[in-house]
Amino acid sequence: MVVAYIMVKANTGEADRLKGDISAIDGVTRAHIVAGDFDLVARVEADTTAEIKDIVATNLQSIAGVEDTQTYIAMD
Amino acid sequence: MRFVIIGAGRVGLRTARVLREEDHDVTLVERDRDRVARARADGFDVVEGDGSHEHVLEAADVATADALGALTSDLNANFAACMIGKHHGCRTILRIDEDYREEIYRKYAAEVDEIVYPERLGAIVAKNALLGGSIQAIADVAQNLQVLLITVTEASPMRGYSIEEVELPAQTRLLAFGKADEPMRVPLPDDSLEEGDRVAVLADYEVLDDVRQLLVGERVPATAGGE
Repeated sequence: MVVAYIMVKANTGEADRLKGDISAIDGVTRAHIVAGDFDLVARVEADTTAEIKDIVATNLQSIAGVEDTQTYIAMD
Repeated sequence: MRFVIIGAGRVGLRTARVLREEDHDVTLVERDRDRVARARADGFDVVEGDGSHEHVLEAADVATADALGALTSDLNANFAACMIGKHHGCRTILRIDEDYREEIYRKYAAEVDEIVYPERLGAIVAKNALLGGSIQAIADVAQNLQVLLITVTEASPMRGYSIEEVELPAQTRLLAFGKADEPMRVPLPDDSLEEGDRVAVLADYEVLDDVRQLLVGERVPATAGGE
């Protein structure tokens, strides 16, 4: 199993709605609203890194209000 | 009062100057050596260091400050400074870098008492300068509320009437009044509005056009379904 943390930069103040939409994506196990350059962090689990890429590129980035993402694959 | 300001750049240093002019005690925290030198040359008490670190804020004696202004252009540093400030019992003011974040920090950041987005105020001033004329937006009080300073002109429909006689639209309050050559003060019912007098009005965005039409007399574009 592959675990990744996705930093999400928003362009909307609707953090609650974004958190809900992101949490509802298959593979997302947690999502938090955070302070700083990014507005949310999501934890994603999948079988392969290719699946992580699909989840981020297809599902997460298509949510309205998501401006940018950065993916960090856990190595431990 | 005593204030600790993080960041001696264009926002922080200016804020410090305004506070000093009003005889408040200000300590600046700045990590850039050139800015430290500039602020010291300007007579400020400056702690050199990263304001997102607790030992640096302790050197600025954050515990005895009434409020901490985290006014750098780095949101992460500002937020960290607010967390430390709150821990030491300060009121905390956070500068944000993008306007959509205002809502998020208001709702979630318990460590932050007030949020400042300097570009918003800059935009209001720039708009006033561009429009010119007899109506000036002073502040956005909330998303739907604005305070306007309006000068009575020859064309004002309300010119010659007393304040008691002027019927402002609903969702509008008259806050202050000033004769042409006098300072602003609390309005009295029998103050009469003459050319050059000023009134400060708090109005909902929905009725701004009505207020403008009544007080300034400018023609306004017809709205859909309007009369």
